[in-house]
Amino acid sequence: MGLEYFIDISWSTAAQVVMLGFIGGILSGFIGSGGAFFMTPGMMNLGVLGPVAVASNITHKFGKAMVGSKRHSELGNVDKKLSIFMLITAALGIRLAVMVMKFMFEGKEGHSAATSAGADLYISLVFVIVLTIVSISMLRDINKSRKKLDKGPSRKIVEFLSKHKLPPLIYFPVADISVSLWVVLIVGLACGYLAGTIGVGGFIGVPAMIYVFGASASVAAGSELYLAMYMGAFGAINYAFEGLVDIRLTLLLFIGSLFGIYIGAYGTKVVKEVSIRLVTAIIILLCVVSRFIAIPVYLQQLGIVDMDPANNVYFNFASKAMLYLSGISGGLLILFYVFKAYFHRRKIQASFSAEYPLTLKEKLAEENL
Amino acid sequence: MQIICISCHSYGYGKELAEKLASELGYDHIAREDLADQATERGIPVGKLETAILKHQLITEELSIEIERFKAFITAEICKRTKKSGVVYHGRMGHMVLQGLPNVIRIRATSDEKERINRVMQRMNLNSKQAKNYIEQVDEDRCRYTKFFYNVDCNEPTLFDLVANSTNLSIENSVTALINLTKLPEFQPTPESNKKIEDLLLQSQCRLAIAEDARTRVAKVDVRAYQGNVSLTYLPAFVKQAEFIPQVLKKIENMRSLVCTMAATNILCIQERFNPDADTFNYLVEIAGKWNASVELVRLVHQMRDDKVLQKEEIDQAKFSDREKNGGILDDTSETEEDEKDKYGVPETINRLIQVGRAGAVNTIYGGVQPLANMVKSSKGNCLVVVGDVFLSSGSASQKRMKRDLISLLSDQSRVPVISSDDLKEQYLFGPKQRIKTLVFALISVLLFYFVFTNQELILKFLTPSDTEFKILAVLIIAFSVPLAAYVIGNLWHNILKLVKLE
Repeated sequence: MGLEYFIDISWSTAAQVVMLGFIGGILSGFIGSGGAFFMTPGMMNLGVLGPVAVASNITHKFGKAMVGSKRHSELGNVDKKLSIFMLITAALGIRLAVMVMKFMFEGKEGHSAATSAGADLYISLVFVIVLTIVSISMLRDINKSRKKLDKGPSRKIVEFLSKHKLPPLIYFPVADISVSLWVVLIVGLACGYLAGTIGVGGFIGVPAMIYVFGASASVAAGSELYLAMYMGAFGAINYAFEGLVDIRLTLLLFIGSLFGIYIGAYGTKVVKEVSIRLVTAIIILLCVVSRFIAIPVYLQQLGIVDMDPANNVYFNFASKAMLYLSGISGGLLILFYVFKAYFHRRKIQASFSAEYPLTLKEKLAEENL
Repeated sequence: MQIICISCHSYGYGKELAEKLASELGYDHIAREDLADQATERGIPVGKLETAILKHQLITEELSIEIERFKAFITAEICKRTKKSGVVYHGRMGHMVLQGLPNVIRIRATSDEKERINRVMQRMNLNSKQAKNYIEQVDEDRCRYTKFFYNVDCNEPTLFDLVANSTNLSIENSVTALINLTKLPEFQPTPESNKKIEDLLLQSQCRLAIAEDARTRVAKVDVRAYQGNVSLTYLPAFVKQAEFIPQVLKKIENMRSLVCTMAATNILCIQERFNPDADTFNYLVEIAGKWNASVELVRLVHQMRDDKVLQKEEIDQAKFSDREKNGGILDDTSETEEDEKDKYGVPETINRLIQVGRAGAVNTIYGGVQPLANMVKSSKGNCLVVVGDVFLSSGSASQKRMKRDLISLLSDQSRVPVISSDDLKEQYLFGPKQRIKTLVFALISVLLFYFVFTNQELILKFLTPSDTEFKILAVLIIAFSVPLAAYVIGNLWHNILKLVKLE
C-alpha cells in the first residue's frame, strides 16, 4: 500500500468523520451493535477507499469494544465462555474476509476510484444483502409480536435447535443457555466473516445470540462487545499488516463515538424494547437503501453497465444524502427521547418538593377521584 | 398467625407431611397446585410460564410481568389466609414464597433416592433406570424454576430451618418433631411479623391490581409496602401507565399513603442504622439523582439470636405495636428522639428519600450475612450495592475486617458492583481527584492529536511499510496505541459527562 490510498483530511472532512463517529456511537449505545453500518459507508462517501474505511473502522471498533465490554462486564452482562467459543471460528472468518479483500485489490495499479471499484462493489453487495435480511426479519418480528400479547423476539429457531440437541451441547453459565457447539462455531464464522468484510459484526452477533442461542438482550449485547474486542483486535492486526489502517480516521472516530455511546446507552433506559427494535430496523433499512443507490456507480466503473460517468456524482450525492438522513434522523430521534426523559425527570423531581408529604387520600382528593 | 412452609424433592413426602401437620395443628393447608389452578382461572398463564422456563425460552417483558403477577397472587393468598388461621403451605418453592418474613418455619422434606425411585416405579410403572432419570429431570426442572423465580439454588441449605428425611424418620414422628418446633419462641408470631404480613399482603395486592388493570398491566413496577405506606418505582418508559396507578390502587384497603418514584434503576444501601444527615446519605442521594435511581434501604440485623439484639427487637416490636393505629412513616404526630433512635433511623431516612423523590423499598434482613447474600442475589434491577455501617457491636478492627468480608461475599453473589460507603464519593462523584484525572486525559488527548495531525505523512508512511519486519512493528504499534487512545478518550468523555451530571 502507498500513501496515495489515503485521503487528505481537511478540517471539514475531520468534522464529518467526528460526526459520523458521534452518530455511530449514539446508534451503537442505543441498539447495542457497532454502528459500523453507518460509519463504513459514511467514510466511503467522503472518498475513503472501501478497504481503508473497513480497516480504520474495525481498528476503531477494537478500542471502543474494549471500553464498552469493560463496563458491561461490571454489570455482569458478559458471558466470556460464549464469546471465546465464538471467537475460535470468528478469527477464521476475519482472516478469510481479509484474504478475499486483498485478492480484490491485488493486480490493480494506480490510484483511482476504479481501482477499488471491485472491492467497493463486493462490500456494498454483501452489505445490502445481509442487512436487508436482518432488517426485514426484525420488522416482520415486530409486526408479528404487536398482534400477539407476547412482545418478545421470535423463538422458532431456538425451539427448533433445542428439539434436535445436536451434540456436544455446551452450557454457558452467565447467559444460562445450552447450545450445540456446531451452531456456536457456525455463527462465529459468519460474524467473523462479516466483521472482516463490512465491519459489521454486531448486527449478526447480537440477533444470533438472541434468536439462535436464546440469550437475553443484555447478555447478548455484553457478550458481543467482548467478542468484538477480540475480533476488532484480530481484524486490526490483519489490516494493519496489509497497511490498510488510516490511524487518523480511527482517532477521529473515537472522539465522536466514545461520546455518542454514553448518550445512546442512556436512551435504552428510557425507551421501550419494541421501540428500540423498530428504530434499529428502520435505520438499517435506510442505510441499505443508501448503499444500494451507490451500486450503479461501481458497476459503471467496472464497465458492467453502460452509464454516463457524469451521472455518478448524482448517485453518490443521493447515496450520501440517504445515509445521512438515516443516521441523523435516527440520532435525533434518540436524542429526542433522551432529553424528553431528562426534562421529565427534572419535572418530577421538582414536583416532589411541592407534593410531599401528601397522603394518598389527599392526592386523590386533589385529582377529584 | 403461624406460617409453616414446606418444600420437597420430587417424590419426597412433602404433601403427606404438610397435610398431616396441618390436620394435627388445626391449621389451613395450602398446596401450590391449588393456587396454580386458581391463578390460571384468574387469567395468569401459569402453564405458559412453566413451559417458557423449563424449555429455556426467552422470558419476554410480557412474561416477566406475568411472573411478578403470579408471585404476587401466591403471596397475597397465603397472607390472606394467615389472617384467619395458621397456615401450612406446601410447594416446590415453599421455602421462598414469603421471603424476608421472620418467624416463618421453612422445612425441606426429603427421602433417599432409592425410596423416591421406588415410589416412582410403583406410581408410574417405570423400570429403575427410567425412574431415576425421571426423578433427576424433575429435580433439575424444579431447581431451574426456583432459580428463575428467586435466583437462588433450590438446595441451598441456609434457606431451610430443618430438613426432615423420611428414610430415617416416619411421617408421624416428623409431625411430632415439627409440632414441638412450632412451640419454640423463635417461630412465634410477633407484632413485628404480623405487621410484615400486613405489608406483604398490601404489597402483593397492589402488584396484582396493577398487573390486572388494562391501563397499567404492561408497566414494569416495583411495589414495596412499609407500615401501610406503599412506595412504588417505575421505569421512565412507563410514565404514561404510571399516571393511572393512583386510580388503580384506589380500591386497595389499608393503604395509608402512596409514593410513586420514576427510577431507571435501584441502589441497595445496607446498614445497621441509618442517618439522613450523614455524608453517605447525601452522596447516595446525589448519585441516585444522577442515575435516575431509587434507593432501597436494607437494615441488617446480623445476630438475631444474640440476647442484646433480641431484647432490643422486643422493645422495638412493642413500640411498633403501640403505634400501629396512628403511626407510620408519613405520620404527622411528633416523635421523641428515643422513638426515632429505636427504629434505627429508617423512618427519618425514608422520609428524606421521599422528599427528594428517590424512595425505594425498606427491608430488614434477620439472621446475619448469609440471608443478606441470598437477598442481594435474588433482587433484580439494582445497579449498585453500597455497604455502610455494619457490625457496629464489634470492635473497630474486626468491624473493618467483617465489612470487607461481607463486601467480598456480596460481590461473589451479585452481578452489580458492591462497594463500601467510604468509596462512594471517590468512585462515583466528581471530586478533586477526578478533576486532575480529567485534566490529564485532556492533555494526553490534545498531545496525541497534535502529534498525529502535524506528522500525518510520516506516520502514514511508517504504518504502511513494504518490509515484513517493519510491517510487524507497525502492527505492534497499532495494537498498543489504539486501546490506549480509546482508554484516554473514553475516560475523558466519561469524566466530562460526570462533571455535567449527565450519566
